[in-house]
Formats: sequence, C-alpha cells, structure tokens
Amino acid sequence: MEHLGMGIGWRSEIDTALDRLPGIDWVEVVAENICPGHIPDSLRRLLDRGVTVVPHGVSLGIGGAERPAPQRLAALAERVEALGAPLVTEHIAFVRAGGEMTGSPLLEAGHLLPVPRTRDSLEVLAENIRIAQDCLPVPLALENIAALVSWPDNEYSEGEFLAELVERTGVRLLIDVANLHTNHVNRGEDPAAALDALPVEAIAYVHVAGGVMRDGVWHDTHAHPVTEPVLDVLGQLCSKAVPPGVLLERDDNFPPPAELAAELDTIRRVLTRTPQAA
Amino acid sequence: MNVSASAPAGAPTANTAPAAGSAHSSAAASGTDAARQRLALAQAALLSALVAGTPVPQGFDPARVRLQTRALADKRASVTAKVAPELPRILGDGFRPSFIRYAQVNPSAGGARRDALSFARARLRAAESSGDPAGDLTRQQRCELTAWVRERTGPAPRPRGRLRRLAAAARARASVLG
Repeated sequence: MEHLGMGIGWRSEIDTALDRLPGIDWVEVVAENICPGHIPDSLRRLLDRGVTVVPHGVSLGIGGAERPAPQRLAALAERVEALGAPLVTEHIAFVRAGGEMTGSPLLEAGHLLPVPRTRDSLEVLAENIRIAQDCLPVPLALENIAALVSWPDNEYSEGEFLAELVERTGVRLLIDVANLHTNHVNRGEDPAAALDALPVEAIAYVHVAGGVMRDGVWHDTHAHPVTEPVLDVLGQLCSKAVPPGVLLERDDNFPPPAELAAELDTIRRVLTRTPQAA
Repeated sequence: MNVSASAPAGAPTANTAPAAGSAHSSAAASGTDAARQRLALAQAALLSALVAGTPVPQGFDPARVRLQTRALADKRASVTAKVAPELPRILGDGFRPSFIRYAQVNPSAGGARRDALSFARARLRAAESSGDPAGDLTRQQRCELTAWVRERTGPAPRPRGRLRRLAAAARARASVLG
C-alpha cells in the first residue's frame, strides 16, 4: 500500500495556513468541491511542491440500491486525473433513495446514511464497488461512516461487513477512527471488535476528527479538537499495523494554525508510541 | 404552514423488507436485481421517514430516527446558511430553529439554492397564517425576506439603460445555472 504519511483535509478556509504548516505530506480534498479545470491556486501550490492530493467523494452513494451513476464515476475519475492522485476515496453509505425502483419520489439525504449490514446489501454493494473499480483509473478506498440510526436487521458486525467487502472486491479501506468512536458511544458498537475483524492490511489511510458530547450523544462535528477516546482508537489500530497514512479532518470553527500544528503533533505521537511504528 | 403538501404521497412506509416474498421468484433471473429491489424499498422507507416525515419503518428505534432526522436537518441548515447567508442575517437567531422545523417535513427541493428559496417562501407563508408558531417575523424581517425572494424569482423592474439591462440579464442567467 502506498505510503502517504501525515495529512490534513484541504479546506478553502485554511488553505493559506496549509502553506505554512510543517510536516504535511498530503491533503485530501472533497471531490465535489473541486472543478478539474479550475484547481484553486493554494491547492496548485501544494501540487507543485509535490504534496499528494487525494479526492474524497461524498455524493456517490455507492451503498445505494441503484448501480452507481456513470457520470458520477466519470466525475471522480476526472478529478483523479486532474490531481494526479494515487487513489480515490468514498463512503460506505447511501445518500439518496426512491425513484424508479420504488415508484416513489426520489429523495436526497444531503448526508451519508448507513447501509443495512445484510446479505442483500453486501451483494449489491460488492457489485457497485466492482462497477466503480472498472471506471476509476486508481484504487478505490471506502470509508466506514458514523450514524445515529441503526438498521434492525443487521446480519454482520461492522468489522465482518468490511472484511467481506474486501474479500469480495479487493477494495481498500479508509478507516475513520472518530466514526468508530461515534458508533461506540451512540450505538454501543465496540471499536476493538471492529478492528479485530477487519483486514488491517487493506487500510489505505485513517481519518481522525474531533467531536463533542451533547445530551449523551456523540456528535462527530469535525469542528472541535480531537479527544483522547478517538486517539485511543487510533492507538489500538496502530498496535495492529501502522497505517500508510493518517489524516486530520477539520471542517469548521477553524483554530489558529499553531493549534492545528499541535493537534497534528499529538496524532504523530500516537503513531510513534506504538511498538510497530516505523 | 402547509407542511404535508410537499411530503411525497407515494413514499413507501412499509417495513424494511416488504418485497421479500414477491421478489423471490425473480431472484434467479438476473444477478443482484432482486436484492436491489428489496434494498431500494428498505432504503426509501427509511429516508422518507428521515426527510419527509412519513412513519418510521418497522423495527427502527423511533428516538434514533428522530435524532438522525434532526442531524440531517441541522446539516441542511448549515449548507443553506452557506449558500444563502442573507437568510440567517435576516432571520437572526430564528433562522436555525425555523429551518429545522421546515426541513424535517420538506425534502430538499434539489440543490442548495432552490432549497433556500423554498424555505424562504414557506417561512413567509407561515408568517402570514395567524396562530402559527413560526409566524413571528417582525415587519422588517417580512419586508427583507419578501425582497430576497423577489430578487431571485422576478419579475424584476426593467432596469434603465442598455448596460444595466445586460447586467440584469447576466445575473438572471447566473441564478438559473446556480
């Protein structure tokens, strides 16, 4: 698996700060926010400096009941080419439903929703992943999402489901340790069990993000500092295998660059304190 | 506010595997089609409950569905505030709660800008209907919100001068594309 190193989510609000942040090996951009013909100057500067840029899609809905739309896959492929990216990532989620297959209005969720972890879902998702892989010029990695709602008829644990997807399609994994923590607090799903069941060698990189507890519910806001429990899950993951890349996601309520740098240092310390660290 | 009018009347509200029996016979016909059909109905039933206010599908924890509904509406409010920052400016602290009330029963109108416009119209309708808890806009807020909607839907007064007319036409085209 390609080594990525330490990265941060590229956002227009912090783009100039990224020029000065030390030790940034790579960035991830939200694919839908990038227009291939008009790469923002700050991103172009990073590319010119040799910083790897990975497009991260949010609207494909590869876990939906329909086959992935060719134009959405083509758009992702176009961004891969424009950025010279070594891989492209999306989410194990559905984002729209209804329409022709159900005879009901097509509805957009506006965000990522969990798929049921059933045999039906696995069969559909595996085929959708293969369709996507055929259309994309680089490897695809898929991310585990956080959710508040749980399907009542799950037949697999999260780790088992991810392992099945890797086994059937060879897809790579983007493991979000903040999402594992979120699902622990909100749905009682043990991150250690998920990490035990999933194939760590399939991990392309890891997401780390901050959140906040409100009324007994963990909100994965990407707008608060990264907390100890999330770093603990990262530590658990690293004790199995140090991932090829780790990326801090911050989407809002941006702190001064020095604070971001300190947060990146904290994450680096977790990576290096584990016995397997390189 | 007439909230039920835009909820999809034909949205499925059955349990999570309503087509399990009927789809069985066609399962052998073509690969994943039967699984896709069952998944489509299950996902549409959940999403419809989450964004259109239809009943919670069987087996789901209604409290969790409410939380997820709220989270989706919250996310939509943030996106709306980003593409139409005038709305939170005009409505002040009332923007987010009123948008969330609106979003929980009105599915996205397709695209963040259209969503913002639909919300603004619904907000004005609510303000006009007496006794509605959302009808608490000040006179100034109503004026500004009405002007905001009018600017985006026309017909605008015909600008005088050739350059101004061209500029207005360009703006109109841009708003259609956006």
